[in-house]
Amino acid sequence: MYEGGIYRTNYKEIDMENTSQVPVTVLTGFLGAGKTTLLNRILTEQHGRKYAVIVNEFGEQGIDNDLVVDADEEVFEMNNGCICCTVRGDLIRILSGLMKRADKLDAIIVETTGLADPAPVAQTFFVDQDVADRTKLDAIVTVADAVHLSSQLVDHHEAEEQIAFADVILLNKVELVEDNDIVKVNDRIRKINPFAKIIKTTRCDAPLDEIVGLNAFSLDRVLDIEPDFLESDHDHEHDDDVTSLSFVSDTPLDMDKFQDWFGNLLRTKGQDILRSKGILNFKGEEERYVFQGVHMLMDASPMGPWPKGKNRSSRVVFIGRDLDNMNLKEGFENCKSA
Amino acid sequence: MNADLEKLQETNKTELERRGSIFNIGAPATEAVTIRDQIAVGFGDGTVRFFQSGSDPKTVKAHKGVVLCMTNYEDHVLTGGDDGRFLKISSDGNIEEIFNFGSKWVDCVASHKDTKVCSSGKTVYIWIKNKDKPQTLEHQSTVAGLAFDNKGKRLAVSRYGGVTVWKLNNNKWTASNYTWKGSHGTVTFSPDTKYIVTAMQENQIHGWRINDKADLAMRGYPSKIKSFTWVGDTPYLVTSGSSDAVCWPFDGKEGPMGRKPIVVANGGKELATFVKALNGEKAVFTGFTDGSVLLAEIDESKKPIMIRSSTGAEVSTIAISSDNSQILIGDMKGSILLSSLWADN
Repeated sequence: MYEGGIYRTNYKEIDMENTSQVPVTVLTGFLGAGKTTLLNRILTEQHGRKYAVIVNEFGEQGIDNDLVVDADEEVFEMNNGCICCTVRGDLIRILSGLMKRADKLDAIIVETTGLADPAPVAQTFFVDQDVADRTKLDAIVTVADAVHLSSQLVDHHEAEEQIAFADVILLNKVELVEDNDIVKVNDRIRKINPFAKIIKTTRCDAPLDEIVGLNAFSLDRVLDIEPDFLESDHDHEHDDDVTSLSFVSDTPLDMDKFQDWFGNLLRTKGQDILRSKGILNFKGEEERYVFQGVHMLMDASPMGPWPKGKNRSSRVVFIGRDLDNMNLKEGFENCKSA
Repeated sequence: MNADLEKLQETNKTELERRGSIFNIGAPATEAVTIRDQIAVGFGDGTVRFFQSGSDPKTVKAHKGVVLCMTNYEDHVLTGGDDGRFLKISSDGNIEEIFNFGSKWVDCVASHKDTKVCSSGKTVYIWIKNKDKPQTLEHQSTVAGLAFDNKGKRLAVSRYGGVTVWKLNNNKWTASNYTWKGSHGTVTFSPDTKYIVTAMQENQIHGWRINDKADLAMRGYPSKIKSFTWVGDTPYLVTSGSSDAVCWPFDGKEGPMGRKPIVVANGGKELATFVKALNGEKAVFTGFTDGSVLLAEIDESKKPIMIRSSTGAEVSTIAISSDNSQILIGDMKGSILLSSLWADN
């Protein structure tokens, strides 16, 4: 192989909070959970908004709507040294096409197939500059079948990932399940994902404004993390179960130590960490720092001063596999300033 | 707006803006191609408009959504849209539907003499002469770029993982694969057909020497390369994607191997989004994220000329009429500048 000269310039910063970005909702869920029901509602309800819907093998449903885009999921590996960095090539192509429309879209909904891993979809919004400039990931919404979710979680790691990645979970078909079984399913979801909003529905009958336009991936929404849960219990059955862990510290953290630990953690264990979020109180810094990540990719920013009269406590949350073997607690404790 | 400010803005206009015409179409300009003395432009509202100096553009309502791709074909243009239609359009407004793919988009088009080509999904469709039924070529992933060599003997198809170069022999297409990890977009043959080059998802250009498949990587860009153009006799491959027009020399046996590119047309904080050669000259038009356009010689000691001032919307297309007399510049907000290139026109 031969190579031309290397040409370098400074990176241009991307304005992540650009208000002209069109929000994109990612809709996941196992086959039969009710995604199509929800899509039909979004397409047919009189909501006065213009939504484009990107679907898989939807053609046979015969919906006549020129804002339905037929796509084949194409997961591309990025050749950028990040070992788990995959993106959805079809999504990059279609979103860039939709952004050329003369009429402004209010939102875009992306349906994924039942067995899809949500990570490449989410990573597309971190990795592709044009996508990040013109659209923003609004939320990952997972439709779960209240009848079958428990067995699907045992049999398919994709089902676990779809729950783990979700910002909103529609626990659908609750009318077919006894009340105490709903409590059990709810607890099972909570163990995987402690911060998703769970909405119990019949035929996905949740108000659309609880599904679309949530801004869940915006950094300031990280501030909504509730501090009232700590280490989850360790009674899961397999090592590859998805669980969550969270830590709180009232002692300010050392910024250098945290960056070393967290950077190394994402580099070495990022494949197993599905999502991470945190609010950080660094010693000597007046502002709160927030971050949120998907696998190895992360967004972080100072987010204004701490509210007066409130505890300046740092809190971090991890959702992933094999979290017990990452020495997370020890690593976090070591970041405390002396 | 007060009179002084208007005057100031008037004087800030470039020479080409003063003598040219500005049209506000209201939909992003997606592609522009030259047909004789006209320049056809595709827009995000599905129209194709034919611009000609001294008259209002003729509007053809072609697609339902966006004109995604366009090329010239004899006295017509071929267009593909997000309404799944592959069309042949004449400047008098006559539309012939060559094929309708339904809910699948038509992503790329190409042509050579009497051959019409488009891609939808992973398949390339080829109509030779006036045959109704297309030949089809299948690929492992969605087609992202199409290019004929200058003789029309080979068709390059870019996709995830590299490029497939198809050669037509005795009415049969045979494939040759050029492989490089990653996702490949727009593709082009060098004018001497010794190289193929693609713009990648990964902020880099990749090339192959055709005869021995030797790889050629051109890296270091701060953003994705959306546009390239061959300039001059050397020739240079001039690319967007940086704050300058980056010009890689493709002369000699080894092309740009081990050589630094020439950089011209510095846009300061702005990134180049579209580049277009001035035919017959060693010079290139470079459009930027803010809508401004510079004309620069491929010579770092020469100063570029401001052709169009900032509009606030990124330059998405530039076309030059076939007699080099007119330039058309279009941007993502749908503002079009049509102007004569030379003062005595």
